[in-house]
Amino acid sequence: MTTTTLSIPRIWDRPKSEHGIWSWIGTVDHKRIGTLYLITSFIWLLIGGLEALLIRLQLATADSTLIGAETFNQLFTMHGTTMVFLVVMPLSAAFFNWLVPLQIGARDVAFPRMNALSYWLFLFGSILLNVGWFTGDSPNGGWFGYAPNSGITFNAGSGMTFWAIGLSILGVASIAAGLNFTVTIFNMRAPGMSLFKMPVFTWMTLITSILLVLAIPVIGVALIQIGVDRLYGTNFYNSLAGADPVLWQHMFWLFGHPEVYILILPAMGIVSEVLPTFSRKPLFGYEFVIYSGIGIAFLGWFVWAHHMFTVGLGPAATSAFAISTMAIAIPTGVKILNWMATMVRGSIKLTVPMLFSISFIAMFTIGGLSGVMHASAPSDAQQQDTYFVVAHFHYVLFGGAMMAIFSGMYFWWPKMNGYMLNEKIGYGVWFLLLLGFNLQFAPMHWLGMDGMPRRIFTYSSDQGWESLNLLASIGGFVIALGMLLFIYNIWYSRRPANRVEAGNDPWDARTLEWSISSPPPHYNFAEIPQVEYRDDFWYQKYPELLEHEDGHPAPSGAQDDAEAAESHEEDGHDGHGGHGIHLPDMSYYPIMAAAGTTIGMGGLMAGYWVIIVGGILGLWGIIGWSLEPVNDPDPEAEH
Amino acid sequence: MFHNLLPRLSRRKLLLFLIPAAAAFIAGCASNNPQDTFDTAGPVAEQQADLFKFIFWIAVVVFIIVEGGIIWITLKYRSRSDSDEMPVQTHGNTKLELTWTFIPTLIIIAIAIPTVIAIWDLAEAPADEPSMTVEAIGHQWWFEFRYPEEEVVTANELRVPVGKNVIVKLESQDVIHSFWVPKLFGKVDMVPNRDNELWFRADEPGVFYGQCAEFCGVAHGLMRFRVIAEPAEDYEAWVAGMQRPPAAPTGAAVDGQRLFGQHCSSCHTIDSYREGAYTSEISLQDGRWQGWLADIENASIVSAPNLTHFGTRLTIGAGIRDLDRQTLVEWIEDPGNLKPETRMEEHALVYKGGKANLTNDEIGAIADFLLSLRPVSADAEPTPTPVVSGDPVEVGQAVFVSNCASCHSTGSDSIVGPGLAGIAGRAPGGNADSYIKESIVEPGAIIADGYQNIMPSSFGSSLSTEQIAGLVAYLKTLN
Repeated sequence: MTTTTLSIPRIWDRPKSEHGIWSWIGTVDHKRIGTLYLITSFIWLLIGGLEALLIRLQLATADSTLIGAETFNQLFTMHGTTMVFLVVMPLSAAFFNWLVPLQIGARDVAFPRMNALSYWLFLFGSILLNVGWFTGDSPNGGWFGYAPNSGITFNAGSGMTFWAIGLSILGVASIAAGLNFTVTIFNMRAPGMSLFKMPVFTWMTLITSILLVLAIPVIGVALIQIGVDRLYGTNFYNSLAGADPVLWQHMFWLFGHPEVYILILPAMGIVSEVLPTFSRKPLFGYEFVIYSGIGIAFLGWFVWAHHMFTVGLGPAATSAFAISTMAIAIPTGVKILNWMATMVRGSIKLTVPMLFSISFIAMFTIGGLSGVMHASAPSDAQQQDTYFVVAHFHYVLFGGAMMAIFSGMYFWWPKMNGYMLNEKIGYGVWFLLLLGFNLQFAPMHWLGMDGMPRRIFTYSSDQGWESLNLLASIGGFVIALGMLLFIYNIWYSRRPANRVEAGNDPWDARTLEWSISSPPPHYNFAEIPQVEYRDDFWYQKYPELLEHEDGHPAPSGAQDDAEAAESHEEDGHDGHGGHGIHLPDMSYYPIMAAAGTTIGMGGLMAGYWVIIVGGILGLWGIIGWSLEPVNDPDPEAEH
Repeated sequence: MFHNLLPRLSRRKLLLFLIPAAAAFIAGCASNNPQDTFDTAGPVAEQQADLFKFIFWIAVVVFIIVEGGIIWITLKYRSRSDSDEMPVQTHGNTKLELTWTFIPTLIIIAIAIPTVIAIWDLAEAPADEPSMTVEAIGHQWWFEFRYPEEEVVTANELRVPVGKNVIVKLESQDVIHSFWVPKLFGKVDMVPNRDNELWFRADEPGVFYGQCAEFCGVAHGLMRFRVIAEPAEDYEAWVAGMQRPPAAPTGAAVDGQRLFGQHCSSCHTIDSYREGAYTSEISLQDGRWQGWLADIENASIVSAPNLTHFGTRLTIGAGIRDLDRQTLVEWIEDPGNLKPETRMEEHALVYKGGKANLTNDEIGAIADFLLSLRPVSADAEPTPTPVVSGDPVEVGQAVFVSNCASCHSTGSDSIVGPGLAGIAGRAPGGNADSYIKESIVEPGAIIADGYQNIMPSSFGSSLSTEQIAGLVAYLKTLN
């Protein structure tokens, strides 16, 4: 590596500090970035939850005037947008960041500075999305932003413009992250770890990353179109000028349905790690689970119009999309049965993460069953846009994704932080969340079948929905209690007096991240591990189990090994033996590029001078970045 | 029977928890909610509900097997102590896994077949059965109903005969709405620039609740309507009534009529019983809409529900309240109190600054007038306009209020037609009398710049000589 003579002047020195705020701002360490994702999206979870509570307060009684219609519409728009884009996606990203390099035996992701860029874009974009709460002009057209209601004629405020711009920025962050993890997983696996020896969570991350790279550009295009419609009076979705507003729906759901799998596949990855660990058995039908995941991701591209069964597609298209949607139930069902079979004849330890994972299967199944009801288009004509749908996707996204994320939190918290989360309090958190969740969302099935539409800010007592709504609202507060207890759990467990050290492997787990200290050192692995088996760490601990296989030897195909070793040599990553640990230096340029991008794009609404300021800052960040070597020349190094 | 698939241990637990839960679901669905999707009153909703129930019972079986299985497995295989033996390290079982790929496939096929059949079944009304067609138009935030064959226009209450298939053409004037009456049919969206339709049949008489099901802006939650299904002869009588004029107002309603003419009639049509009124109402509604779009900030005219024979309505505010005088007064005084951001309150001049700029007496009078709008009985002498004899200017004013004020203001504001202040001075050649008279009798002869030729040409025949003379005399007084 030669020192570059080209560089633009630095105002600050390249960050070196390992402590304090600057160490976070300049970090490129995947673990720190994972922590930043975790904290940021947890705060958004609390805010999105608060929005949900206000919605539930308003709907607790008939003819309520607690919250005005406009505020209510802003609340449900931002609740949906927040929970999808600022909570479930980045919480998954937090786990990707923390775990993927550890699970594949790498020292960082493929593009560490781009990883930092993803995070900062996510942070700034999420703030931009929420600026409206301070200007009184929050997005109010629903998280789905249907045209022409989201167009300037019918929605003159600036809220939906903030929404389009904010989501575009988040989209850039997601595409960058998707590319980063795809490349990382393909190129940076430890020697011997062929694809079919990867942990399932890493597999699901790979599938999700590919989905992100393919799906986000679709919404990106649509957001740019609706953005310029609003800002510059173009007519992509302006029905008054003859546009077909259904085009927006096709674009949105062509992204939106793969997005559903972007939200749920990481969760499936988490439970696929937790269930085997606490059953003390390998995942049943690993290949079937992987292929089902791929199948779900693939089929996910052919079902988008099931969100549009009432828009008038005609019977032929409706039939096709009904059938393709039902087909997704098959790989999903396979996964559920495989998870159950993993537990059969296991030695099940009902730890907190295990309870959350079991709840995931139980609740996700309910969401899946109501999903099949929606797939049946004539039946869906009654359910579409009712509370039945609200129940359905909360069973998938809360009962599914969030339960799995809580499972993952309790499971990997000791690895990330070095101490255990108190188990007794954890049981309380699990109980309150599961109870509150069912109290809130089960009644919504009945409400939907009783004809209560979604997104109505009030209803009248003659419609007969009062008692079930009150029940649902009570459930919301039980969930809130569970969340508070979770925060208390963290606070309690980290106090020195209550601290229980985790050690390397508190759960007797199976994958590589448990082979190193908790929290892991900056460089992760002092020596890059050599992988022989799927769940390699497990068999290192219990080599005798290799002989007890019931006719199914732990896979160790020699051919795979050769392939993996070969691919490994090519990438020039430091090879076997682990001498010479090289980690990328910290950098301020990612945050600068992200800030410039956000200011520049936000400036589209504010004025040209803001665009110019943002543009200069952004370009400075990008050019500085491209001229900055990954590592500053180290006088002692010889390369 | 599926219980046999599960070991004994779990059976009691299942019965304890799951069967009651399923039963409770069905019981909960058998409520008498006005928008209950199971309490169907026609073939479309019925087929949709039957399909749901079919899938539901399959789902119950799967639910019991999976949820029961999870509980049973968890209890049965939970570790009792740390010294438990290491379980057998099973990696999978290809036969088993193929089996449970195959079984869901069969279930899905079993669901897909009736689904596809129902999709095609419900796509169009059976051609061999008698049907009628209506048009439903979504507006922010109310529904307009047009009966092109009967030439009737009304709003928020769709009257249909029992036992006849009704084909509803769905349109939207502004954003996407969705048309839904749970007891009669599942929803179909009203999409601008797209011709959707649905069909339904009410097999029993009744008042059925409907509601917009697609988020359509601020007051989406208060965009409701009713379908009133009545025996064929009652329906026919209603249609006939919609083509007869109302009785002349009496008492306070007389004042109300004048006030309505001044403050409300630019947007609300109340005389669609007239010959040819159907066509003119369609162009009027479009004119109001285009006018609003052209200058949203300053518009004082908006497209609005047709109030012909308003006194026969059951509800107010797009189905959000039962109609009675008290509610109507509240509504007129401050619609924002019942429904946020109505176009009426945002734009109509009389609401400048918030509440209606009217005294309580005036509001009461308007309410009385509106409630008096009911068709005269079928055997009464047709009296298209109230005949007032005496001072021609007074006669003319009465004629103006009930015939002209929907489109013409008495000031300089342009509504659909030009404002008429100073009309006498605009006469070419200075002959005001013949100019005004000709414009009434032969409206197509002179079209003011910037206006369309949409004024009905029927006034020459529907108004008496005395009325026309009065109208001319009245219009000459406008300055």
